[in-house]
Amino acid sequence: MAKKILIVDDSPISRKMLKSCIPAECIKEIQEAGDGLAGLKVFKEFLPDITFLDLTMPVMDGVQALEEMKKLDPEAVIIVATADVQVKSIEKVMGLGAFHVLKKPPTKESVREILLKVGECRGTEHGI
Amino acid sequence: MNELSQLFNTVNIGLVVIDSDLKVRYWNRWMEFYSGISSERIIGVPLFKFFPSLNTPKFLRCCKSVLAFGNFSFFSQKLHHYLFPFRADSSFVSHFEFMQQSCSMGPLRDDATNITSLYLTVQDVTELAVYEHRLLEMNMRDGLTGIYNRRFLEKRLVEEFERHVRYSRNFSVIMFDIDFFKKVNDTYGHQCGDYILKSVSSKIASMIRKTDILARYGGEEFCCLLPETDLASAQILAERFRKSIAEIIHVYQENEVTETISLGVSELSKQYPTPSSLLERADGALYQAKGSGRNQVVALP
Amino acid sequence: MESEICQVTDEEKDILQEIMNIAFGKAAADLAEAINIFVVLSVPNIQLLKGAELPDYLRDELRDFTDISIVEQNFRGKFRGSAFLVFPAGAGKELISLLDTGHEMVFESGSIDILEKETLLEVGNLLIGACVGKMAELLGDLVTYSPPKVVIENHPHEIIPNNLFNSEYTAIVMKTLFSFDERDVSGFLFLVTTHDSVVWLQNSLARFLQQYE
Repeated sequence: MAKKILIVDDSPISRKMLKSCIPAECIKEIQEAGDGLAGLKVFKEFLPDITFLDLTMPVMDGVQALEEMKKLDPEAVIIVATADVQVKSIEKVMGLGAFHVLKKPPTKESVREILLKVGECRGTEHGI
Repeated sequence: MNELSQLFNTVNIGLVVIDSDLKVRYWNRWMEFYSGISSERIIGVPLFKFFPSLNTPKFLRCCKSVLAFGNFSFFSQKLHHYLFPFRADSSFVSHFEFMQQSCSMGPLRDDATNITSLYLTVQDVTELAVYEHRLLEMNMRDGLTGIYNRRFLEKRLVEEFERHVRYSRNFSVIMFDIDFFKKVNDTYGHQCGDYILKSVSSKIASMIRKTDILARYGGEEFCCLLPETDLASAQILAERFRKSIAEIIHVYQENEVTETISLGVSELSKQYPTPSSLLERADGALYQAKGSGRNQVVALP
Repeated sequence: MESEICQVTDEEKDILQEIMNIAFGKAAADLAEAINIFVVLSVPNIQLLKGAELPDYLRDELRDFTDISIVEQNFRGKFRGSAFLVFPAGAGKELISLLDTGHEMVFESGSIDILEKETLLEVGNLLIGACVGKMAELLGDLVTYSPPKVVIENHPHEIIPNNLFNSEYTAIVMKTLFSFDERDVSGFLFLVTTHDSVVWLQNSLARFLQQYE
């Protein structure tokens, strides 16, 4: 039930906000990173069940990080968090293998909804 | 009727409310008066049904922006002239066919602060627009003769020059001035001189096309811009100018006054890469005409 | 006067930064979907300055621009201040096609300038309205706007007057780079809040974050 969660976002406030929206019982362990490159590093070592990824970051942006993470693990569940929810942008990241897009600012409801979807997708063995 | 209601119906400003489907929700008395459409007829009906000319990308964009962002949109008279085609208020012949309007648009919210509709304000700025137009005209015209002034000429010269260079079109310039003008002033007085200036400029103005620009360049010096014209044609035109002025016998206070003009013509070419060099060439041609006995045309390629 | 300068903490700056990120992201999305205008807004930079320091700050920021136009618009809510959009010279011409006017404009002499100016004003109005509007929304405020004005047209940036801002004001200056890729036009957006709204801003930032405690 509880998951290993990785949050990659260059804004510490944004990370804090997201963390507070995730139900405590879902968190087995949570790690954070402040840019795409660091996030990739943690991703390799930590092997999270779910990754939340911001798009606009320095050093390596979200799109690139998404591509790299998918290369490492095609099955990885990566949720892109962004305020820019143009249809074009959403289609692009979904095409690159994002599991879903989370609209910023996150709310407890929107996060819970997404986590449920992850549960559904994976079937009962990974159900939340 | 409560005070606000009275206020909305007596102010000298048009007030309209439309909902997010662009149907009219409120139409004040000012709008009724100038449109001839009563509020009963228009309430609940799409605005574009009565005013199809409003259905433009710009108007729609402004509506969407106000609905999405809650900001304000402005429709200035300078660019749009008017939104609603109403007759101008004045009984006297106006410069404009329709009332000139300055309009603005803003959001209206419900109790939950969601934007549900838009308001439009319409102001009659016809008088201001006429005044502004007159000022602009004065700014580009010569006070005495009514033809364009030098400031305007120089501005237009730059624009025409660039355009003709870009599209490789022919462009010519005629510079001319009135021969022995000082003598006219000294002999008959400055009022006579003014009369001659007006007479010459109006004669020449009647001989040029709509696209040509005639301007008073200096005291008795004039310049004519001829778009889409090559040197040969410009020379022929210049000769026509010369002949027609030479033929006029002015009668001023029982005196018969005749005069002639000298003209210099030049044409856009690679040798004159700037507007001012083109003018200089024409001026040089004029100088030659003067030096060769006046009352003639000199064209320099 | 020293005691009058509000201390804005680093955390408050971070929250404001995130709010701007979110607001501008939404603004860009809405501009694209609702109005077909595609603009990229960069991560904002936030500074606290006295009004008297602003002209020098602006001149410094704009030293790489040769000629500029500035569109100014004031906004009034509990969140109040001025927005300045700085465009490089000639941007107006490039942006004309962005706003398809839908009907043939008859060009009399001098009216190309007017069209450029009106285009700057309209684009400015849209961009400022979108950014400020979304920020105000996130902070739970409603703002009204003055009509936009073009403050300086095609003047070298040295001619930013020293009295452009009220020197006694403390201002939070939020700077963002905006870019219309399809027209190759980019510039800066500065939001300068007034002294009296800084305190309100701090409170509303705290309120915003409280939802996430």
